[in-house]
Amino acid sequence: MQQTTLRQKTQSLVMRFFSFLPALCLMLASCNFNTRLPVYGPKSTVEVMKDGRKTIDSVDYALPTFQFTDQDSNRVDSNTIHGKIFVADFFFTSCPSICPKMMKEMDLVYEKYKANKDVIILSYSIDPNRDSVARLKHYEKKIGFESSKWHLLTGNKDSIYNLADKFLVSAGEDPDAPGGHIHSGNFILVDKHRRIRGYYDGTKEDKVQKLMDDIETLLKEN
Amino acid sequence: MNAKKIIQYLAPFTIVLIIAVFIFDIWSNGSIVHPGQAGYKANCSECHGENGEGIKSLVPPLNHADFAAKNIDSIPCGLKFGLNHPIKVNDTLFDGTMYPFDTLKLDEVQIANIINFMNKEYFNSDREVTPQWVIEQWKKCKK
Repeated sequence: MQQTTLRQKTQSLVMRFFSFLPALCLMLASCNFNTRLPVYGPKSTVEVMKDGRKTIDSVDYALPTFQFTDQDSNRVDSNTIHGKIFVADFFFTSCPSICPKMMKEMDLVYEKYKANKDVIILSYSIDPNRDSVARLKHYEKKIGFESSKWHLLTGNKDSIYNLADKFLVSAGEDPDAPGGHIHSGNFILVDKHRRIRGYYDGTKEDKVQKLMDDIETLLKEN
Repeated sequence: MNAKKIIQYLAPFTIVLIIAVFIFDIWSNGSIVHPGQAGYKANCSECHGENGEGIKSLVPPLNHADFAAKNIDSIPCGLKFGLNHPIKVNDTLFDGTMYPFDTLKLDEVQIANIINFMNKEYFNSDREVTPQWVIEQWKKCKK
């Protein structure tokens, strides 16, 4: 065996370090340092008076106020969601296709956050004429959850469809679709200022997991 | 002993091991999977669950479900035209509707495979149905 000099030893150590460098870079790149969630929707501009001068300011897209009725006949409006993060989706109780799966996934979100008063769930019925308060209550019992945490909402049909538009998701009547309605299977994450912060496919377990990760991020945001 | 000799000595064993793992892999993936499993996964598992467990009181279970096991003869019609009346499964009432699979164009072979898969996996039954049997059941459907 040849005796290695100190110089050779340090050289090989340095070489080793550099050969690990690309791997290290990749590892760091895969860590997400920028944890702030995006704000969806078009920004608008407003004129504001600042120091006696008119200036243009940009404003984030936010959902309008709304007022619907839940499965306990309680009014759900801006006061209900004040200061809270909420997860929204669109469904209807007689939906034979994707809704059961969406409900199963939403139930996971419910189970995780049922003790957290900063998070609530709103499920809007897109078939409000058939989905009476009694029907919504019956549906709640089938899954079994707390109504103050997870509101199933009914109300004026046009208002609900307009709100779906504002959520930037599709919802509508379609006689050819199973159950007579089509709707997006998305779960939508909304922050305390009614700004949309994420869309997640509510029929996919990994996407719903991402939603729960993002709720954690959003809870840390001021 | 030097490294070269060790490698020379171990090489045949390594090759045999790799071949054995390869054969086991083909055997375990190829012959055990039931032909109806893919059909079940693609068409049924979304609502009835990966293991036939159902969803709370929204979607009835299939795994060890008394209703399904007792009514195998009506499954082809249920899949073709959907289910639109309340049923009692393992003492729980289910009053939702099931999507008619006619729109998905499942044929008699696929349905026979799925029923045989459920017979074996969920109903502990050795009964095997044929595509011809599925067609016979379809003729008796009360639409």
